[in-house]
Amino acid sequence: MKRVLVACGNGIATSTVVASKIRDYAEKEGVDIKTEQCKLMEVPGKGDNYDLVVTTGQFGGQVNTPVVAGLSLLTGIGKEETLKEIISYLK
Amino acid sequence: MWNAVMSGFDWLIGAGPTVMLPVIITVIGLFFGLKLGKAFKSGLTLGIGFAGIRLLLDYMAANLGPASQAMVDNIGINLDVLDVGWGSIAAVTWSSPIIVFLVLSIFAVNIIMLLTKTTNTLDVDIWNYHHMAIVGIMVHYVTTNIWLGIGASVVMAITTFKIADWSQPMIEKFFGIPGVSLPTVSATSTLVLAWPLNWLLDRIPGINKINVTLKDVQKYLGFFGDQMVLGLILGSAIGLLGGYDITTSLQLGVSMAAVLVIIPKMTSLFVEGLMPISEAAQDWSQKKFKDRKLFIGLDAAVVVGNQDVITTALILIPLTIGLAFILPGNRMLPFADLAIIPFRIALVVALTRGNFFKNIIIGLTTSAAILYAGTITAPILTELAGSVGIEVAVAGSALLISSFSATSLTHSFLVFFAFVGPLLVTLPVMIFIIAIFWYYFEVMKPNTRQAREQREKNEMEIEEQAI
Repeated sequence: MKRVLVACGNGIATSTVVASKIRDYAEKEGVDIKTEQCKLMEVPGKGDNYDLVVTTGQFGGQVNTPVVAGLSLLTGIGKEETLKEIISYLK
Repeated sequence: MWNAVMSGFDWLIGAGPTVMLPVIITVIGLFFGLKLGKAFKSGLTLGIGFAGIRLLLDYMAANLGPASQAMVDNIGINLDVLDVGWGSIAAVTWSSPIIVFLVLSIFAVNIIMLLTKTTNTLDVDIWNYHHMAIVGIMVHYVTTNIWLGIGASVVMAITTFKIADWSQPMIEKFFGIPGVSLPTVSATSTLVLAWPLNWLLDRIPGINKINVTLKDVQKYLGFFGDQMVLGLILGSAIGLLGGYDITTSLQLGVSMAAVLVIIPKMTSLFVEGLMPISEAAQDWSQKKFKDRKLFIGLDAAVVVGNQDVITTALILIPLTIGLAFILPGNRMLPFADLAIIPFRIALVVALTRGNFFKNIIIGLTTSAAILYAGTITAPILTELAGSVGIEVAVAGSALLISSFSATSLTHSFLVFFAFVGPLLVTLPVMIFIIAIFWYYFEVMKPNTRQAREQREKNEMEIEEQAI
C-alpha cells in the first residue's frame, strides 16, 4: 500500500478536501492507498517517509519524494489531469 | 402546526449541539441536494467533531485556567482571557440554532451578487462561512433580534466578497495562483487595517526606503511553527510564571502540547463533514455560471505555505506574545491561535510584496487590534459558548475565552460593533466606510491605472515619433 502526504497551510481545511478526493479516486481506480495530512511547514521533515507529497499551495522546500501541486482539486479546473498524475505515482 | 414546529425547535435547542448539529447539517445538506444518507453522515461527523472539541476545551480550561490565574496572582499581569483557538469558536458557531438561516443567507448573497455582477468571486467554501456567520450569531445573542443577526452576516458576506475581488490581482501576482480569490475572513480581515497603513508608510520619507531581508529565520525560529513544541514551551512557561514547581510546569507543558496537537484533528472532522455539501454547492454554481469567468473562492490555506509568509509569521509569534504582556488593558493570553498567525499575515506580505520591515510594522498593529477586540468581546463570546454547553468557569474565579478569529478580527469586530451600537449612528458610519473603500477600489484605482497606461502609451508614441 502506497502512502500519500497531503499538505496545506494548517493541515486541516484544504488538505482534508484534497485527501478525500484522492482517496475516492484511488478507490474508484482500485488502487489501495493511505493518506495523511500535515502543515506545509512540516513537509521537509516528514516528506521523505511517503511515496508521494500533494500540496494545495506553493511549496518552496526540498524533499526527495515526488511532489504534485493539488490546487486544481480545489478549483475543479484541470482536476482529472491532476488525479491521473497522482494515481500514476501510486500504481 | 406552527406550535408543533416551535416546540420541535425548542426541543432541538434544549437537546444541545451534539444532537442539534447532525439534524441541522442534514437539513442544510438536503437543501443542497445531497441524498439523505450522505447528508446525515455529514451531520453526524460534525456532531462528533463538536463532542471532541468540547472534551478538549474542558481539559484545557481545567489545566490552563488555574495556571493563568496563578500567573495573575504571582506576577500581577492580568491575562485572564484564554485564547482557545479558532477551531473551538467555529464549533460554537456551527452549533448555533440560527446557523441554517445564516448559511443560506450568505449563499444567497453570493449568488445574487454574481447575478448582478457586483462580485466575481464564487464562494462555495461552505466551511469558511463560519467567519461570517459568527458575527450574526453574536449580534443575535446580544440583541435577540434575528433580523439584525442575519443583517450582520449579510454585511459580512458582501464586504468579504468585495475584499476578495479587490485583493485578487495582488494575490495572483504575488503568489502566482490565477483564477483564485480568497474570501477567508481570517486572512482578509487584516487588509482593512493594512491597506491604509501601507498607503501611509509609503508616504513617510525615509521609511519607504527601508528594505530588510532576513536569512536563517526559519532555521532559528522554526520551532514556533511546530504546534507540539510551541504548546510545551508556552504551557511550561505559564506554569513557571504562575509559581508552579518544575514538575508541575512540565506536566502543564505536555498537556498543552497535547491540546494544540489534538484540536486540529477534531476541527478537521468539521471540514470533512461539510465537504460533500461544499462540493454539491460548487457543482451547482459552476454549472449555473459556466459561461462566465469567475474567481473560485478558496480557503487562504493555499497561500500560507509561502516562504516569506512563514518567515514573517515566525517573527511575529514571539512578538505577539510580548505584545500581550505589555499592551495596557489587554487581557487576552495568546495560545492556541499563535499557530495560525500565518493566515493573519499572508495577505499583508502580498500587499507589501514581501517587504519585511513593513510586514512587521503592519503585523504588530494588526495583532494589537486582534488582542484588544478579543479582550472586549470575550465576555459575550464566553456567555455564548456557555449557552451551547462549553463551560469554562474555573472554581472560584471567572475565566473568559476568546480567540484570534470571530469578532477578534478587525473586519468582524467593526461589523459586530455597528450592529450592536446605537444603530442610527453606527449603521450610517459603517455604510460610509464601506463606500470609501468601494470608491477607492472601483473608481479611483481603475482610473489611476488607466491614466498610467495612457501616459505610458503617449510616451511610447512620442519616443516613436522622435525616432
